Amino acid sequence: MSATISNRRKRSKLYYRVQHYAGEIACLVLGAVLVIWSLMPIYNMWMIALNKHDAIFEGGLWPEDPTLEAFRVVVTQDFWYLAQFWHQFGNSFYVGFMVSFLTLFIGSLASFTVGRLHLKNGWMLTNAALMTYVIPASFLAIPMYRIMQIYGLANNLWSVIATLTTFATPYAIFIFSQYGKSIPMELDESARIDGANPWQIYFRIYLPLMAPALVAVGTYALLLAWNEYLYNFLLLSTPGSMTVAVALAQFLNSDESPWNYMMATAIIYAIPPIVMYYGSRRYMAAGLTMGGVKG
Amino acid sequence: MRNVSRRSAIAGSMGFAIAAPYIANAAGTTAVVWAGQGFVQEEDVAFRKTVDDYEKLSGNKIELSIMPFQALNQKAIAALTSGDVPDLIFAGAPETILPQHAWDDKLVDVSDIVEPYRSRLSETALLASTFYNKVQKRRAFYLAPVKQGCAPFHIWGSLVTKAGFTLADAPNTWDAFWNFFKPVQTSLRAKGMRKIYGMGLQITTVGPNDGNNLFQHFMNANGGAGIVTKDGTLHTDDPKVREAAIHSVEFMTNAYKEGFVPPEALSWNDADDNNAYHERLFVMDLDGTLSTELAMMKDKKAYYEEMVVMGLPNGNDGKPMPAVLGAGGGFIPKGAKNVAVAKDFMTYFMQPQVANENLKSGLGRWLPVLPQVIKDDPWWMDSSDPHRGPYVKEGVLGPSVPSFNGFNPAWGQVQAEQLWGQCHADVIKNNMTPAQAVDKAFRRMEAIFAKVVFG
Amino acid sequence: MSSTTEQALSVGRPFDATRARRRHGWFGGLQGSEHAWAVAFALPYTAVFLFFVIYPIGYGLWMGSSPALYQELFDDPRYMTTVINTLLYVGIGVNLKMFLAFMLSGFFIRKRWWSKFVLVLFILPWATPALPAFMSIHWFLNGQWGMLNNMLFELFGIDGPVYLNEHWTGLAANVGAYIWKTLPFWTLILLAGRMAVPTELYEAAAVDGAGGLRKFTHVTLPLMANLYFVCTLLDMVFALGDFNSTFFVSGGGPAMSTEVLATLGIRYAFTVALPNLGVAAVMSALPLLIPLVILLMRKLRMSEGQL
Repeated sequence: MSATISNRRKRSKLYYRVQHYAGEIACLVLGAVLVIWSLMPIYNMWMIALNKHDAIFEGGLWPEDPTLEAFRVVVTQDFWYLAQFWHQFGNSFYVGFMVSFLTLFIGSLASFTVGRLHLKNGWMLTNAALMTYVIPASFLAIPMYRIMQIYGLANNLWSVIATLTTFATPYAIFIFSQYGKSIPMELDESARIDGANPWQIYFRIYLPLMAPALVAVGTYALLLAWNEYLYNFLLLSTPGSMTVAVALAQFLNSDESPWNYMMATAIIYAIPPIVMYYGSRRYMAAGLTMGGVKG
Repeated sequence: MRNVSRRSAIAGSMGFAIAAPYIANAAGTTAVVWAGQGFVQEEDVAFRKTVDDYEKLSGNKIELSIMPFQALNQKAIAALTSGDVPDLIFAGAPETILPQHAWDDKLVDVSDIVEPYRSRLSETALLASTFYNKVQKRRAFYLAPVKQGCAPFHIWGSLVTKAGFTLADAPNTWDAFWNFFKPVQTSLRAKGMRKIYGMGLQITTVGPNDGNNLFQHFMNANGGAGIVTKDGTLHTDDPKVREAAIHSVEFMTNAYKEGFVPPEALSWNDADDNNAYHERLFVMDLDGTLSTELAMMKDKKAYYEEMVVMGLPNGNDGKPMPAVLGAGGGFIPKGAKNVAVAKDFMTYFMQPQVANENLKSGLGRWLPVLPQVIKDDPWWMDSSDPHRGPYVKEGVLGPSVPSFNGFNPAWGQVQAEQLWGQCHADVIKNNMTPAQAVDKAFRRMEAIFAKVVFG
Repeated sequence: MSSTTEQALSVGRPFDATRARRRHGWFGGLQGSEHAWAVAFALPYTAVFLFFVIYPIGYGLWMGSSPALYQELFDDPRYMTTVINTLLYVGIGVNLKMFLAFMLSGFFIRKRWWSKFVLVLFILPWATPALPAFMSIHWFLNGQWGMLNNMLFELFGIDGPVYLNEHWTGLAANVGAYIWKTLPFWTLILLAGRMAVPTELYEAAAVDGAGGLRKFTHVTLPLMANLYFVCTLLDMVFALGDFNSTFFVSGGGPAMSTEVLATLGIRYAFTVALPNLGVAAVMSALPLLIPLVILLMRKLRMSEGQL
């Protein structure tokens, strides 16, 4: 009898092992499909960036004569659209950082006070936030232009920061409110018994536990700011106050643009958000481990 | 200050035959100017220089922002809608903004500064600078014109030669000229160029501009130029106009169906045809200004030996056909804080020698609005540049018509709805006959025009 | 200060005392200075709302308020096609993407030594600036020299179709581009949601003898359903306003057959210089948008009640 049991065990072990490997292979295939799907258009961008200007649309699968010339041009600001590239890069950083910071700060405070402190009638705050989405952002361009003139923020980077924070925050409040539900209220209670005030609970307990959502939303806000160009043009006027998104949009000014420079600019421009995201990935991991410690 | 600028205007009108002596405005105030970016860097450099020169001469300050044209468009519309406006907007192709806003009385009448040039402006530039104001119930100058542009043919002469043909043999009437490139394609394919096409007809609805522009030329060549007249009336009931439209649709869709146009052309955007041309995926096309060539200027071989620019042949009736001109320059939104300096600057800019220097420095992508300038300055017809001469000849020396946008604001919507491109799609995709497609487009045009009532 | 804040917050909704009382927050409610803290925390967003939302939204509503605009809109033969396209674009684009994002979040939560690298590459579309990325997709799909057809030719010796010349492939390209660009982000959000599911719930389920499927249906699904639903609603709102992918990939072609309300609105506003008509085009999506927003509001309040 004991022999049949061990036999069955052996069989099931083998069965599970086969199942396991089949599953792993399926996952590998899925991974490969994902990589190809994600990279195709980006590979195309690289192709264009590595080509010479007059050979961009020859249609090979790899440039006949690949060159990093386009990247050199961007980095050394050797083309008139890109004459202020690094300065604009700095502006982009400033705007992107401020928008992310303000979005996370304002959004997490609001969701904390509504979701945890249960501020009387706080739900109105979240409902109000959603009203921002009744008309898509691109159609509020004209009212936003007007309002910045009234506030005296015309041609000031802060007009762009304020606008983009306005569009990003409702979304942040929303995701934080959803995500915050997974954090047990008892953590707050025990801190409260230890005499912590709401600010301390917000800062020491709520924020660290929200890390994964903060990273995701922060990157969202950064990219929102990073890619926005309509409002940059609309609200800013002088070349010194422009951002890289504006430099990119310049290439659309003409039907005859050096697309290789444009793609090289886009590739360089995409690096900081990626680096930032991967730099902050450990917070996502931290969120995970803390989630495990909770019980 | 207003007086001073009027004085300079008067001075301009007195200096009729010779260049107007510019009298500086010494008040020393600032005007905010938004300007459209050029296609080549030289255009921006030239514009900045004009501004600098003006500042030195007048003592006024110009607060200048140069931005790409879509951005300028959006910003101008936001400004005009909300009322927070700059003092002057300078644009290369403002015909999408001007008709509607002049109609709504949102622009400052600049007749006082343009009037001195009236008799010297080309008839077309004149028409392209005046717009109807629904509130004042009259037409007036709302654009101070400085430059104009038209669409020439861009041809890979080297490919024609390779196919065993000579461009000089190309017939000089419209349809026959296009047809000349059909055997060129056949011959090139026989020589192993698998993907080459004869003609880059932009029969697209994506555009936004190329398809509309191309169709206008076909209408003119087929005797349908009168579809919209100066008074803003639509003449879709004119059998001549209908015939012209049907023939145009028929010619282009046939060329497409016969395989002489890249299949992609149906969904081209304005950059796609240029890209395909540069890759030598088709032999020739008709497209606005010299930017196609100027983009390749660094490639000496292509620029000087391989590319050819040609003006328009005669229409199908054998008579010279007019070039379609668009005018660019400055306009002043109502509510501008410093109209005086804005006008003063445009008065300075419109002076023949100032405008001429500016346009020459911009590599001649844009043409002067005063034909006399071309005659006085040999640079424009200098044959050491292979492309400028034919372009100037088409745009300034030959007959021309303005785009219809200035005649009636409804035309802007006709173009935005891509009704011509829609005709082609209806014939090619939806199996309509050209006549059915044209009649469908005409009904829609009539509906759009019906909303706009003059008087 | 608190009374003005409360007034500000009560904009748009009547005060409802019973609801407020029924909800329970911190044990025993807020005490002493905690009230002041709670109000102070609400101030920053209240300020943003007052200064940067109310006026623009009101202005926007005013711009599109004339009934004549809607008459003009409905007279446009393109309008009906555009509405249908918008429904397809939002309906398919958002739901397909959310389903994929949900599945992929399950894929990425299982730690494999190589899945980290896949995630790195998978995030790239999101980080790539939208404008050049969509132009790249437009060129990628070019029938004559685009990379896709070149690959088909080199690998299988076939000539692919001209994708952007057909209504359905054009629409599919736009939807595909939208999914491509935004899938990584929603996957991340759902991944974060999955990470927040306490592991002891799975352990408890395992002790009860639950297999993978039962863990999924009894633990993951109920806990994630709300987040999933909310993300779907939110992205529908975003997708309704998105014009970039359609604008740059198909450009609305062929023959204006893939236009969506957002691109139609942009064309009216900035190509024909009729900004009010442009706003009206977008406003005509309000019958769809408002239920979405109300649903979102309800969802949010219900979830607060659950705490």
